[in-house]
Amino acid sequence: MAAVGASIVFSGLVALSFVISQIHKILALWEEREKYLARFKKRLLARAAEKIQAPDYAQRQFPDADELAEDYGPLVDQLKQPFTLSQLFEVARQNDLPHPHLSIQRLQEAGILVAQGDGTFTWNR
Amino acid sequence: MIDLLFQFLLNTGYYLADYRNYIMLVVGSTFLYLGTAKKYEPLLLVPIGFGILVGNIPFFKGFGIGIYEPNSVLHYLYFGVTTGVYPSIVFLGLGAMTDFSSLLAQPKLMLLGAAAQMGIYFTFLGALFFGFAPKEAASIGIIGGADGPTSIFLTAKLAPHLIGPIAIAAYSYMALIPVIQPPIMRLLTTKRERLIKMPPSRNVSKKELLIFPIAGVLLCCFLAPTALPLLGMLFLGNFLKECGVVNRLANTAQSAIIDTATIFLGFTVGCSTQADVFLTPKSLGIFFLGSVAFSIATASGVIFAKIMNLFLREKINPLLGAAGVSAVPGSAREVHLMGLKQDPTNFLLMHGMACNSSGVIGSAICAGILWSFFI
Repeated sequence: MAAVGASIVFSGLVALSFVISQIHKILALWEEREKYLARFKKRLLARAAEKIQAPDYAQRQFPDADELAEDYGPLVDQLKQPFTLSQLFEVARQNDLPHPHLSIQRLQEAGILVAQGDGTFTWNR
Repeated sequence: MIDLLFQFLLNTGYYLADYRNYIMLVVGSTFLYLGTAKKYEPLLLVPIGFGILVGNIPFFKGFGIGIYEPNSVLHYLYFGVTTGVYPSIVFLGLGAMTDFSSLLAQPKLMLLGAAAQMGIYFTFLGALFFGFAPKEAASIGIIGGADGPTSIFLTAKLAPHLIGPIAIAAYSYMALIPVIQPPIMRLLTTKRERLIKMPPSRNVSKKELLIFPIAGVLLCCFLAPTALPLLGMLFLGNFLKECGVVNRLANTAQSAIIDTATIFLGFTVGCSTQADVFLTPKSLGIFFLGSVAFSIATASGVIFAKIMNLFLREKINPLLGAAGVSAVPGSAREVHLMGLKQDPTNFLLMHGMACNSSGVIGSAICAGILWSFFI
């Protein structure tokens, strides 16, 4: 009985001390609520805008097939025709061209890189 | 005519008194001396001391004079004690007088108020060991809370026949704080520990002070609803003070109301120490266990503060543990004085008051819990 009583008193006062230690923090939060709400709303809006713009940005920024052909043409000239995609990839990497995988895929889709059926490709420009 | 005079003389106190009455008259006079000349808790010891004198004037039983005789004036006044009305009213005034800002500034000090309540439970076990009935043991244990009204409240509910000795023991030990606590504090602390300085408390906003009584009453009374008569009134009084819109009520609660209750409480408790009821071996046992309770409560607070220091980056002065008993403001003052003795620039009073006020809450919860165990 004594142990139970002592534990109850202790837990009660510990809980009360925790609550009163948080009162000033809660009050500060309440008093600054306009500021925090505004900041929260701003962050939410920014996140929503990021979500919408991200794909557009990627599409807009990535060069089209013709632009890529201009960049990759001089590299292809260095290679002996027909060439493999791994050779083209290696040359592009050595010249620090961005997104070589995506670029080569784009060139293939545009018919600038033409498959020969034996794993090699030719440059159609 | 001579017969009439003879009859009259037979009915006087001089004839009816026995040695026990004289012992109690000496006790009452000692209380008055301590209260007036030594200024030990005069607000309590003066009405109690005078009550002891009044209660121990022998009278012819059956005339409705004594406090234990139904229909006597004293019996009606004593009703406030036996029903727990006066302690509740005292708590209302206490709440209206208490500034909880030091506690709100350092909530961790509340744990010392909890630790000091261990004296109650140790003494409860001790009283059971010495053969007291469980309800009596609980009433004796509460003396360790060092809170007169709380002791009276619980005893009125559990062991009304012991109100006199328990109330006298509780108030005596409260008055003897300057004698009991310092040796225990010195014994359990090193000089280095006594020199620990407490950081200045942060400023507490008005809103915090306003929210505290509401949070306190909800949290504590949901936990121990039986503490409602005490804690409900304590927090009501404090809310009256802090809300600032009922200053008249707050002023009345902290002056006229608490003063009236204290007078009647002290006086009737004093009167209840009628020699034939009070001077029993049980009372001696209660006084002994009461001193044990008070000492253990003081020691528990100090030791717990030292344990806390093992885990705290910012150490607390372990003397503050002694202020965890709810003798407001006596024990806080004693802690402050001992701190000053070691270092005249070490001011512990406000920190001690934080422990003190948490001790008041703690002992009221303890009383509620003990009461609920026996409902």
